Amino acid sequence: MRNCLKLLILIGLATSLASPILGLAGDAGTALKTDTIRAEPFADAKTVGSLAKNDAVDILTKKGAWLQIKTKKSAGWVRLLSVKRGASSSANNGKGVIDVASGRAGTGQVVSTTGIRGLSAEDLKAAKFNEEEMKKMESHTLSARDGQSFASAGGLNAVKLAYLKGAK
Amino acid sequence: MNKLLFSLFLAAGIFGTFSIPQAQALDFGKVLKDAVKDKVEEVKNGGETPAPAASPNNASSPAVETSASPAATPAVATSPAQPEFNWKNPSQQEEIALGREITGSLLGAAPLVKDEALQKYVNQVGRWVANQSERADLPWKFGVIESNDLNAFAAPGGYVLITKGLYQKLHSEAQLAGVLGHEIAHVVKKHQLKVLQKQQLLGYGAGKLSDLLGKNDKLAKKALGTGAEISARSLDKDAEFEADRMGMILATRAGYDAYGLADVLQTIGQTNKNDSSVALLFKTHPAPDERLAKLGDSVGGNLDNIKAGKTLENRLYKLN
Ligand SMILES: [Zn+2]
Repeated sequence: MRNCLKLLILIGLATSLASPILGLAGDAGTALKTDTIRAEPFADAKTVGSLAKNDAVDILTKKGAWLQIKTKKSAGWVRLLSVKRGASSSANNGKGVIDVASGRAGTGQVVSTTGIRGLSAEDLKAAKFNEEEMKKMESHTLSARDGQSFASAGGLNAVKLAYLKGAK
Repeated sequence: MNKLLFSLFLAAGIFGTFSIPQAQALDFGKVLKDAVKDKVEEVKNGGETPAPAASPNNASSPAVETSASPAATPAVATSPAQPEFNWKNPSQQEEIALGREITGSLLGAAPLVKDEALQKYVNQVGRWVANQSERADLPWKFGVIESNDLNAFAAPGGYVLITKGLYQKLHSEAQLAGVLGHEIAHVVKKHQLKVLQKQQLLGYGAGKLSDLLGKNDKLAKKALGTGAEISARSLDKDAEFEADRMGMILATRAGYDAYGLADVLQTIGQTNKNDSSVALLFKTHPAPDERLAKLGDSVGGNLDNIKAGKTLENRLYKLN
């Protein structure tokens, strides 16, 4: 019994470790913009190469706001938001075509008319104000103080930080 | 007309919008009608606009006539006096009333997931993130709705909904905080409210109103234009980019990892474009790639000195 539990916990741990915030090492990625590739995950680390928009990259690992990547020409660290996961959009389209051919894309469409799968135009057309559901939603309203205790329980501390300016 | 308003308000959903092809009967229209009616009463009662509407023989205003003779005191005819909806400068109370109508209609289409612990949990996370905003005083309300679409919505006054489909894509509390942060930002900046105000003020000028008495449907159409126009308006990319920037900062202020929202945008970006769960979203909103790139431009090195926040994967409430 005890061992069973242990095993379960171990499996649980393994799964949560494997469950990706970011995919596992070696994931395909695409550069979203021009950026500098650096030797280490710091803004002032040595430059070892550069990234051009739409460059294919291999994502090796993530550290804070940085990704360790490999391109055809160089390897190093770039800012997290400079790379999107997945191959370039053209490859993405190809995948879509396959899904349509195999009927996968159609499946969601059909089920969406049930009103639970999706929020289709039909569902919305028939929508009427639902007082009961609204009351339910209102019943869960919390105070600012409730939020604060929830944060404390999770070890979350408020940080002073200004909003970002919009980029041109 | 209801459809137009409905899509207007929900348009600023984080990842998608309702572009509904046909008119429908959402109760939100009632709010508008009441607003119009009140305006009409004001006109009739000798408000700011001397208008034909004041004429007792105006046959085109049956909707707002009472059985009392027009000569009777208006105070009786209209009491209990409904406060006029102040479109020019809505009070917080009015904003909330509006958001309630919109959200209630959405709930009519997709009810809350029947899981009290889940609903409580999103309210806890959302409330804490909203505390970091300039409008912490609003009675913020959050909910997870029964839909497998990937989407989230905000309505004026502090109403935020996220679909179950999107919730199930999340891997951490920080990601939830990022998504909710984006929606909270829409409310804080009054993005939806401003779009509607603009429509109202363009179409419901006091002078014009009198001409339109008793022609409520046409009135609304005239004020709101065609659906296509509304949809175009709802695609305000800058509002979306702004909500991304603010949402990210709100979550970071709350002590979370700054990149939760970006993670979710990555996930969305990897979703098959032909999947119906993202059909509307990809059609009507800036592409996730573009949003990520814009966010990256704004962030630059601005967060380099911020202590790493928490992701709290383990506290994310797991749906059955
Ligand atoms: Zn949005």
